[in-house]
Amino acid sequence: MMIAAEAGLVVQRLPDLWRLTGEHLYLAGTATIIAVIVGIPLGVICHRVRSLRAALLAALGTLQVIPSLAMLAFLLGVFGIGVPPAIAALMLYAFLPIVRNTFTGLEQVAPEAIEAARGVGMTPAQRLVMVELPLAVPVIVAGIRTAAVISVGIATLSAFIGAGGLGEFIFRGLSMDNIPLIQLGAAAAAILALLVNFTIGAAEWGLRPTRQSDRGTWKPKLKPVALASPALLIALGVAMSLVDLAPSVPRAPATGTIRVGSKEFTEQYILGELMAQMIEDRTDLRVKRTFGLGGTMICHGALVRGEIDLYPEYSGTGYQAVLKLKGSTDPNEVLRLVKEGYRKQHQVDWLEPFGFNNTYAITVRADDAEKNNWRRVSDLAFSASRLRAGFTSEFQEREDGYPGLQKAYGLSFAEARDLSPALMYRAAARKEVDVICAFATDGRIAAYRLRPLLDDRKFFPPYHAAPVIRQETLRKHPKVRDALAPLAGLLDDAAMQRLNHEVDEKKRSPAEVAAEFLNAKGLIGGRTTGTRTVKEGRSGSSGKIDGR
Amino acid sequence: MIRLEQVSKSYDMGLTFAVRNLSLEVPNGETLVLLGSSGCGKTTTLKMINRLIEPTSGRIEIDGTNVLERDPVHLRRSVGYVFQGIGLFPHMTVRQNAEIVLRLLDWPAARRRERSMELLKIVGLDPGTYADRYPDELSGGEQQRVGVARALAANPEYLLMDEPFGALDAVTRDALQQQLLALKQELGKTIVFVTHDIFEALILADRIAVLHEGRLEQVGTKEDLLARPASPFVRELFAKPAEQLAAYGDLKA
Repeated sequence: MMIAAEAGLVVQRLPDLWRLTGEHLYLAGTATIIAVIVGIPLGVICHRVRSLRAALLAALGTLQVIPSLAMLAFLLGVFGIGVPPAIAALMLYAFLPIVRNTFTGLEQVAPEAIEAARGVGMTPAQRLVMVELPLAVPVIVAGIRTAAVISVGIATLSAFIGAGGLGEFIFRGLSMDNIPLIQLGAAAAAILALLVNFTIGAAEWGLRPTRQSDRGTWKPKLKPVALASPALLIALGVAMSLVDLAPSVPRAPATGTIRVGSKEFTEQYILGELMAQMIEDRTDLRVKRTFGLGGTMICHGALVRGEIDLYPEYSGTGYQAVLKLKGSTDPNEVLRLVKEGYRKQHQVDWLEPFGFNNTYAITVRADDAEKNNWRRVSDLAFSASRLRAGFTSEFQEREDGYPGLQKAYGLSFAEARDLSPALMYRAAARKEVDVICAFATDGRIAAYRLRPLLDDRKFFPPYHAAPVIRQETLRKHPKVRDALAPLAGLLDDAAMQRLNHEVDEKKRSPAEVAAEFLNAKGLIGGRTTGTRTVKEGRSGSSGKIDGR
Repeated sequence: MIRLEQVSKSYDMGLTFAVRNLSLEVPNGETLVLLGSSGCGKTTTLKMINRLIEPTSGRIEIDGTNVLERDPVHLRRSVGYVFQGIGLFPHMTVRQNAEIVLRLLDWPAARRRERSMELLKIVGLDPGTYADRYPDELSGGEQQRVGVARALAANPEYLLMDEPFGALDAVTRDALQQQLLALKQELGKTIVFVTHDIFEALILADRIAVLHEGRLEQVGTKEDLLARPASPFVRELFAKPAEQLAAYGDLKA
């Protein structure tokens, strides 16, 4: 049963698996190659220039201990989202094993060999190239092997910044509470690491001299293949990421590409899909999905830098987190100020909201609420010191989150743990925490028998979702505005909750759910549900920089 | 001709000397053996001739030119050197090892190949069997033959040999010694040969220089040293093997 289900998942996800594996190989491979090209000379410098050695190795060691997620976040500031920062981060981690092993390998060369090299009249450079490096090869290759395997592992985090790779399965699985998807991503990444390890081992064997006893056997013939196998693996990766296995939809030649982004939780994937499918259906533009970006500031940064053209944003988030405004909690006022602020400061337009208000809702278990007669947030004041809260990281930090909540209601919980949006609901249902900052439109509130409490002091700003889009994009492709117009006011809270529920609980893909919804509303025609499932998302949740 | 004049080497700023005030001359075509126990300075002396070690003071000349005025890389390519133990490059085949100096001298590949085949024959290794083997696929004697071939590759005037046969068994050592004698006759090289083995010195040397604690005790033909030892040390040194031989004679009788 289990195995059949897993096999079914693999078949169903094959086009995705194919593309993500290709991307994963491309990321890890490129990073390792660059690290080899730069790292081996650095290792030689370490060996030759004693005065630089300690400083160089210490610097690389320091890089190594920076947590990978933090490294990605730093590099995000330098390179923006996508492949370059991911490769840069992987490369920095790959340096240390390569540099250190090159240095160690050179140190270990027998003094007799070095004296013989001097004695026959080699210059220091000839000695390095003809004797020292060849004799250090096994140790250097061991370093490259370590670096490559580390890269394959860390590359799973690249999905966090929209660089793709198998991490997309893991993050998407995390954000939608879909365990088999996480397993698929993890297993594929592990198999890939083994494969990388194997090919580099094979290449090292290929480099070794052919012994007398092996001459005339099949072994020497296999050596060139073994030597080339890592390159073949990377070439395969590039080919895989270029050849799309997804069933292609016949269409008129595209006149341009629109890049649709989203954050890393279910609702954002669905909204992203709704927008993407409307544009695909109603214009001849190509759509590139860059979904699952790790948080508001990453999405906003990508939009402002022109790395994406549009994504769904929430009025309250734009108001407080992006524009740093405060004071108003009136929906119309907030929306007006946000539109104005974005237009002036960021050359970005807010289109008409989808309709629902996905505000934060302080939420408890329904049976607790009944037992204690909790209906409003202020009812918690008396018991707060005994309650354990589980909040998203963003909620913990934001002024309209826990810090503000404490001031507005005089609440202080016994503890407030950081949880990813996906885990928060389950943690509440399992009584691991008592209070969570649910999203009002989340299908899991009903599914897990939770109850949102009334924000009686009107603390939370309104969070009406709407497409935010670059003005430049609208100028170049005015049809996009028309294509998205029918989405205005289309989804009330209940409708959004239902769509979220379809994905979170029924484990359907956002693309399928979005297509079904648009079909039912008669907004897209002739499209069978599920044709776009292959491209439902680009990456998933880490839960670390979450939020609307 | 190789000439050493008042050559000293100290590794500790003159506190102690590995070699002290050594003067020697090696005329062309001669085989000079540096004989002494370990630590006597014989290997240091040899290495100073091709600048693997720089002298602290004194002057070393090859063909009248101070070696310190020559580029060490060129100097070493022009002087054959056979290393103590196994100085072969383990990642290169026999042929690549034999050719290495020629490669450094930028000989074209075809000529290198031709020369390395010739060299292997000279040292008594069949090129067809040995050329493509790696050093660890050879016996100790075969390895050292390759070492000699490598030193002879560029047909150098001078050959420096640092206890080349020290690690070999008696039978192999004897075979290689005989072959070296034959080569010497045939090629007419000037050889400086380091050993601690008195019999080896007696077999190979035209003249023997006895070193002790960094100083030259005596230099001369084997007859000189046996008949007219210049110091008690030299007398002792040559008395030992005579006793051993006598004991061996008794045993046989």
